[in-house]
Amino acid sequence: MKNTLAILLTGFILLISCNKENKDNGLVRVVFDPGHLKFISTSLNTKKETMSALYGNSKALESLSKENSQPEPGTVIKLVTWRYHENPQYTGGTITGELVSIETLQSDEKGSVSYEMKNTESNNLSVNKEERIQYLMSYHPVSRP
Amino acid sequence: MNTEKKKRNPIAIIFLAILGIFGGLQLLSQPLEGKPVTGKIEAPREVIAILENSCFNCHSNQQNLSWYDKLAPVSWAVNKDIKRAREVLNFSEWEKLSPAEHQGKMFAILNMMQSGKMPLHEYTLLHPSSKISQKDIETIKKYTLSLSGTGTLTKDKNTGQEIKEAPQPIPSKNPVSPNGIQYNDDFKNWKVISMSTLFDHSIRVIYGNPTAVKAIETENFHPWPDGSIVVKSVWKQQELPDGEIRAGKFINAQFMVKDAKKYKDTEGWGFAKFSGDDLHPTGKSASFAKESCIACHRQLAEKTGYLFDVPMKINTQRLIQNLQKK
Repeated sequence: MKNTLAILLTGFILLISCNKENKDNGLVRVVFDPGHLKFISTSLNTKKETMSALYGNSKALESLSKENSQPEPGTVIKLVTWRYHENPQYTGGTITGELVSIETLQSDEKGSVSYEMKNTESNNLSVNKEERIQYLMSYHPVSRP
Repeated sequence: MNTEKKKRNPIAIIFLAILGIFGGLQLLSQPLEGKPVTGKIEAPREVIAILENSCFNCHSNQQNLSWYDKLAPVSWAVNKDIKRAREVLNFSEWEKLSPAEHQGKMFAILNMMQSGKMPLHEYTLLHPSSKISQKDIETIKKYTLSLSGTGTLTKDKNTGQEIKEAPQPIPSKNPVSPNGIQYNDDFKNWKVISMSTLFDHSIRVIYGNPTAVKAIETENFHPWPDGSIVVKSVWKQQELPDGEIRAGKFINAQFMVKDAKKYKDTEGWGFAKFSGDDLHPTGKSASFAKESCIACHRQLAEKTGYLFDVPMKINTQRLIQNLQKK
């Protein structure tokens, strides 16, 4: 009797855990919310297999359009980087998958620049802030009608 | 004796009637319109052999049909399928397409075969010899991948000097696609739902309007709610000296607009493509998407409501919240 109970109980627990598992392990389809920022540019790194979207405010757009090496005061830029995969529904195409990092560049009214990196993969990643700021400033707004 | 006769006669009459109707059908049905082979696909022999064996009966002007395919009413369905198949892809009129289009078609063929959508199941039931094997798919794949880089947009190499884009001419009026979908700039304010690349060396950013984004976030896109709009902005890839790729020349903007009633023939999606700096719309008639776009979207992207670039279900909510925390 005890054994039967134990078996039933184990089965029940297994069933519950399976149910949880079926809920996609808490996985979701994510659409990045850039807040008040707008999409400005994009890049593809085939070595790292990542794709990035660069968002910014109007000051960011202004700075990057003018190809300034220093952002205008009041600039906010976010570079959001994703790992890409072969499109599961189309061989010959890729699509973005896991979110890898969010980098934020901000300049205050006096024009002094701050930089922050949030990374999901390696926490103690040491980044050369100066280099990353230069890199973010190297983007041009995408061209289109 | 008498009763037996009475029973047999009606059966004979019915049999004769069916035979008569069947014969009549044959007289009524029109044979498939014969068309000349103007330019047959050129590819390695083993590739041609697979295509001829499994695809040519419908996708070419060289039909080699069985006797039962030619009998009405079967022939009606067969002829209709062939007509539609030729519109989408015709190996006998290959010269009408550019090398870039040839590559695109080969990728479409590969994807159709890999997903088991082609040859059609109804077709292989009656024509078992036309089934394709895993080895056939490998052959097609090898050939298709070998086409990559030929006849496509070549990557722009940025060799040190900055590429200055001339100011874009702004089209005076928003162009309209033959099916009535009008180009609109609004999408530039929408959220980016995903980014992608394609074998043709393009880089793509896909935007969704608030209705579409909500559908994605709530996993509610079977079917997509009416009013969902997705816009894909496509550029040529431009390579920097360090190998990183940025968006170069603008190629086109592709719209998909959901309206189940309006776009019944194309699974409820209205398609539009606006190319070049003048944003000239694709298509000669309102039904252009029926012959092109939907063929692949219908067969290959059914799982995601006929859209190819729905974000993958691959991130955890917690991770995203942590990342977005200030």
